[in-house]
Amino acid sequence: MIRPGLGDRLAHDVTNRGVTAWLISALLFAFYIVLYFTEWFTPVAATLHLGSKWALYGTLYTLAVLIGGGFMLRRYAHNRYQVLRTVCVMCVQALFAYSLPQFLMFIQQPEFYFSYLWPLKLDYLNPNYLFHLPLPFILWSILGSFLLVPILAIFFGKRWYCSWVCGCGGLANTFGEPWRHLSAKSTKAWRFERVSIYSVLGLAIVLTALMFASYAVGGVHPQLASFTGEYQKWYGILVASVLAGVFGVGLYPLNGTRVWCRFFCPMAALLGIVQKAGRYRITVKDDMCISCGLCSKYCEMGIDVRSYAQSNESFTRASCVGCGLCAEVCPRGVLRLENVTHQAQQLQLVQIQRF
Amino acid sequence: MEYAIVGNGVAGITAALEVRKRDPRAGITVISGETDYFFSRTALMYSFMDRLTLRDLEPYERGVFDAQRIRRVRGWVTDLDAQTRTLKLDGGRSIAWDRLLLATGSRPRRPQWQGLDQVRSGLVNFVSMQDLEACETVARPGAKAVVVGGGLIGIELVECLRWAGMEVTFLIREPWYWPVALNAAESAMVIDHMRRHGVIVLTGESVAAVETDGQGAVTAVSTDAGRRFECCALGVSIGVEPAVDWLRGVSTPPRLNRGIVVDAGLRTSLGAVFAAGDCAELELPGRSPLVEQIWYSAKRQGALAARSMLGEPIQYDPPVFFNSSKFFEIEYTTVGRFPRESGASGDGLREFYFRYPGKDASLRIAERGGAVEAFNLLGSRWDHNRFEEWIGQRRPLEDVIDRLHQAQFDVEFGRLDLTPARAAFKLWRAESLRHAGVPA
Ligand SMILES: Cc1cc2nc3c(=O)[nH]c(=O)nc-3n(C[C@H](O)[C@H](O)[C@H](O)COP(=O)(O)OP(=O)(O)OC[C@H]3O[C@@H](n4cnc5c(N)ncnc54)[C@H](O)[C@@H]3O)c2cc1C
Ligand code: SF4
Repeated sequence: MIRPGLGDRLAHDVTNRGVTAWLISALLFAFYIVLYFTEWFTPVAATLHLGSKWALYGTLYTLAVLIGGGFMLRRYAHNRYQVLRTVCVMCVQALFAYSLPQFLMFIQQPEFYFSYLWPLKLDYLNPNYLFHLPLPFILWSILGSFLLVPILAIFFGKRWYCSWVCGCGGLANTFGEPWRHLSAKSTKAWRFERVSIYSVLGLAIVLTALMFASYAVGGVHPQLASFTGEYQKWYGILVASVLAGVFGVGLYPLNGTRVWCRFFCPMAALLGIVQKAGRYRITVKDDMCISCGLCSKYCEMGIDVRSYAQSNESFTRASCVGCGLCAEVCPRGVLRLENVTHQAQQLQLVQIQRF
Repeated sequence: MEYAIVGNGVAGITAALEVRKRDPRAGITVISGETDYFFSRTALMYSFMDRLTLRDLEPYERGVFDAQRIRRVRGWVTDLDAQTRTLKLDGGRSIAWDRLLLATGSRPRRPQWQGLDQVRSGLVNFVSMQDLEACETVARPGAKAVVVGGGLIGIELVECLRWAGMEVTFLIREPWYWPVALNAAESAMVIDHMRRHGVIVLTGESVAAVETDGQGAVTAVSTDAGRRFECCALGVSIGVEPAVDWLRGVSTPPRLNRGIVVDAGLRTSLGAVFAAGDCAELELPGRSPLVEQIWYSAKRQGALAARSMLGEPIQYDPPVFFNSSKFFEIEYTTVGRFPRESGASGDGLREFYFRYPGKDASLRIAERGGAVEAFNLLGSRWDHNRFEEWIGQRRPLEDVIDRLHQAQFDVEFGRLDLTPARAAFKLWRAESLRHAGVPA
């Protein structure tokens, strides 16, 4: 491997919005547009003996996660949090988001992704779809969304999902890793984020309510049913295809890896609210920060970690996905991801005051 | 009230923000010759290694200074007149003040080598923004570099030049790397680590002369042992000293020693003039003169100097010393000061050292008179605040070893296993008790 020396701009080009980065971004955009809005990939999939273009996409996606994950493991071999987390997203992708659904179809069961839950996947609480599934799937969907997700988020923050399980986060933190530092850091981006992410959550909740309403009374109110159908179609195109796919991944080489997760994902919005009330926080070691800025730079959610660290403030931000890279890159070991109980926090305070 | 601050480093800027916080109506001017905006000097190496852009080095968004009504002036201050309460800048501009803070930081110590006066290019320091630019111009992949000086900045420069693909020789005058902080074993671990990164490390040898070509570009250095090292880049980091030279010739110089002499209120001999950070030398009753040249002290002193300028009765009492660093991948935390003569038994000195077999990790803890005094930890993460508490509480070594886990700060799932260290401690203790004739 060539060491990137000062005269050698190649490494900078790909990871710092150079020409190659723009090209890669254009390719990713093109790929997603072709995937979502044409059938060009269908014959390709057929030649490869894959059932559909979606199976082809799933295969490519899984490969990207596994190969990127391999690099990640090599790079952060010294950090057990990174190793375990990466192994976990790789396994979840390979098993729950790839092999298992294929297997289910093979044994004549519905294609079901246990690693996706409402409100990331709205279908999984769409009565028209949900109630046609076998009972265990129904239970998983409902209990998963309403018990598992919030309870785990209370104890561990949203990271258990966003950085350990989710496929979007999985791709970001493996294939997308070289671009993480490109996340927007401006106050403007932060203002936009607050509006955009809760708007999508609102749209998702309204749509779910409509789906239930039209399931219940759609027969007598055909307008409601057709409105819901239209809404669902547009939500699918705009949110699931354009924002999550085309922009979410297409912008990796230009705006970092978590554009979808940070600005639009309804699941992240919901988990973020729970996270604020839960135990997860980033603990800042008092008086040790040298204000270097590496933590902020490598935060894929564009959180200004340094501003907290340099003023000795431990903090919980709703957007933090707990990837742990701030703690990894900090040259002074100032930051630590933790799940603290309020009791423990109190105890710490008492201990400090007592002496 | 007009406040002028010379130096936009961490001491100066912390002071400016603190004055604003406490006095919404104060006029505040910060002057610096180095950069327009405050940047993190400690992160120079990350900019060199392309982890951060120059803009990323700035700890505050640029808008903060306007929002806080802090005027920024770019220029070198050349004269200080405490009678007329004015400053003069190199462009001839003058600035009036009621309270003045000198926060001019450090500058690199200059070596005394033969042939230095011939040098026009190829010699670099690594302290200022201008040094960073110079380093970037001398770094060429594949070419040879020599870095002289065995301290923290030296190893950072070595890492930078290695990253740039240079063949780097690190010349250390002392018998081992950084003896003021590391013992021989700790240093050996760090040196091994450097060698694995391809650095040629030589100890116990100092530079005697520099050679240059016809244009004054550095071509080689030779040592007192008679060895000669060709190089096109020569990094010099043999320490820093308070940047006070410019004050020697001003209209009313404050009292100077190594640095600008200040009392516990960070006040200089000139009354309305204060000093903080790397450039200040504390003269505290009952203590030897103290120049603290680290980021944390500069930040703390800056905040205190602001309050002192505002008229608060400040008594600066330097807390237990702590610092941290990173030697390539080895993280380092230190708290307290190690007693000078380790091994002397008269004053109840005990020192426990443990190196993890097969790992770049070690711990060293010193105790005197039944109370722990200092910690040196390499290769793992620790919360120095706990160590400070334990030192303050005068806890015995045994007790500290028992509660060591409370200070661990490694990433989740990645905690250093303390079992081998504790087992080694048991053995060591039994051994030392046996030597002392006490039955275990
Ligand atoms: C490469 C490097 C790495 C370091 N790493 C660490 C670390 O990891 N941890 C740590 O604790 N410390 C570290 N330090 C030390 C730390 O950076 C300093 O202690 C700290 O920056 C001092 O801050 P200061 O505000 O006192 O001075 P400075 O940051 O030096 O600021 C002084 C400013 O005043 C300006 N100035 C001086 N004279 C004049 C004049 N006459 N007119 C106008 N302007 C003037 C200077 O140009 C400079 O901009 C490091 C230092 C270096 C160089
Ligand atoms: S990376 Fe660490 S030292 Fe640097 S700004 Fe962030 S917390 Fe501070």
